[in-house]
Amino acid sequence: MTALLTVTNLSRRFGGVHALRRVCLDVAPGETHAVIGPNGAGKSTLFRLIGGQLTASAGGIVYDGQRIDRLPPHRRARLGIAIAFQDAPVFRGMTVAENAMVGAHAVTRAGPLAAVLRLPRHRREEKEIRTAAAAALDRAGLAAWADRPAEDLPLGRQRALQMARALCGRPRLLLLDEPASGLRGPERTALAGLIEELRAEGLSILLVEHDVGFVSRLADRVTVLDLGRVLATGPFPEIRTDPVVISAYLGAPA
Amino acid sequence: MKWIIALAAAAVVPFFLPPGQLTVYILLGLSAMAVVGLSLLMGYAGQVSLGQASFTAIGAYTAGLLAVHGVPTLLGLLAAPLVAALAAGLVGVPILRLRGHQLAFATLALQLILLSVLGDADWAGGAVGLQGLPYLSAGGFELNQDRDYACLVLAGVVLTTLIASALVRSRVGRGLRALATAPVAAGASGVPVGAYRLLVFAVSAAFAGLAGGIYAFYVGYLAPGSFPVLLSVEYVVMAVVGGLGSIAGALLGATLITLAVQLLTTLATQPGMPSYAPSVLSYAVYALLLIAVVRYVPKGIVPALLLRKGILATLHRRSS
Repeated sequence: MTALLTVTNLSRRFGGVHALRRVCLDVAPGETHAVIGPNGAGKSTLFRLIGGQLTASAGGIVYDGQRIDRLPPHRRARLGIAIAFQDAPVFRGMTVAENAMVGAHAVTRAGPLAAVLRLPRHRREEKEIRTAAAAALDRAGLAAWADRPAEDLPLGRQRALQMARALCGRPRLLLLDEPASGLRGPERTALAGLIEELRAEGLSILLVEHDVGFVSRLADRVTVLDLGRVLATGPFPEIRTDPVVISAYLGAPA
Repeated sequence: MKWIIALAAAAVVPFFLPPGQLTVYILLGLSAMAVVGLSLLMGYAGQVSLGQASFTAIGAYTAGLLAVHGVPTLLGLLAAPLVAALAAGLVGVPILRLRGHQLAFATLALQLILLSVLGDADWAGGAVGLQGLPYLSAGGFELNQDRDYACLVLAGVVLTTLIASALVRSRVGRGLRALATAPVAAGASGVPVGAYRLLVFAVSAAFAGLAGGIYAFYVGYLAPGSFPVLLSVEYVVMAVVGGLGSIAGALLGATLITLAVQLLTTLATQPGMPSYAPSVLSYAVYALLLIAVVRYVPKGIVPALLLRKGILATLHRRSS
């Protein structure tokens, strides 16, 4: 099966520092692919290159048969790539429901003129957006918070809101940046449950994660990054016994 | 319902005002149109403009120059917001890359440049400006009474208010509010951040330009001095006092400041007051109001009232 996302020889320098060096990676349709590695390995750089928040120094990114590495972030979103950021930036001054509704931007089109003239298209879309947002909030366990200001949510819920916003755009590829960091037991379990559900529905997921336990439960394949290079790629059981990976990152298998 | 009452009140007022006071009503309405746009720009898209009166000037000069060259006045009035929006679109591409204070100063610089260009341009009448502009006429009917302009201005305020409120309650409006606080996440959600910034800048310029166009036909003469930086500051104070990101706040802010300035001008022109009293007093009132609002009701009057109401409603629900 052809991959949904293919990253080829991707490099990024910041001044003289090589944050990423010729990284290759792919995500098959329906696959949950995790990227792990110690701090400074280049995980976040890779993530931001795929999302479009950074541009590559060299190399290419192909999504669904199309080069996307020169597209601005909103165009990538329209192609079906959704992102949940680690620092969970919510849109302050907007309700939880409105935050989720913003995510629908990727799949809606009504412009300013349609809104000002209250064209039927605008009204139809508004209805769809509301329904989609309600469904997404429900899945993320936020239905009870819908009318609260987003900035009132505790961190765990803000993470969940990121997921709801991402889902509202009906993505085909979901990028998750350290979704579990800073979350406590029950919040973490709920999040892992949601990711498992999405995976079961066939959504492709690229998961950048620090927490090896979280990754072992969710990922079909794991890519290990260290100092901007790929150390190894494969199913988690293989990775955890790979001598290179063990010496660089995981430590002795328990 | 509240809006209907407010509209009815605003529509009735001109018929009871003595003719001399209609000027205040008209100028208030013109400010309100520009401030609705500015509130959209500052409150919803998080962009600061200290040069918004540039677009009032561009609208006014567009209408004035077209009228001077014999173009039907109605066409001139329609062209005013369009040319202002176009100008905003052009200068917006480079300057909207700036943020916060830098953007504020760039817009201020823009106005200073515009004023000195207008002051030197022979085609725009130079420092003397354009004089003897015709009244606005449409379909054989000439608007030559203050009352006509009061009605026109009211229509303009209603139009800009409707456009602004339709815009903010739409998909585009949510995108604007989102990019104001978290542009990266907004972009990743599919919001075309740069295009929306430009859009709201152009819309706010169009509103100011429309106000400028009406002003040109109402007053009948234009000079660079009609659009001082103080006018831009006045717009900002009005928007902030009423509450950024609130259309009702923009209208209330414009009303309060206009009335306060009017009152002070009356006071300052009493016999025995020094000649500089009016300008000193109006600067003082801007400064004091701005400081007082930022200190005690930082979100502005209307949002503060709404918040209070919201809290009361919540308490009420809990107690019942």
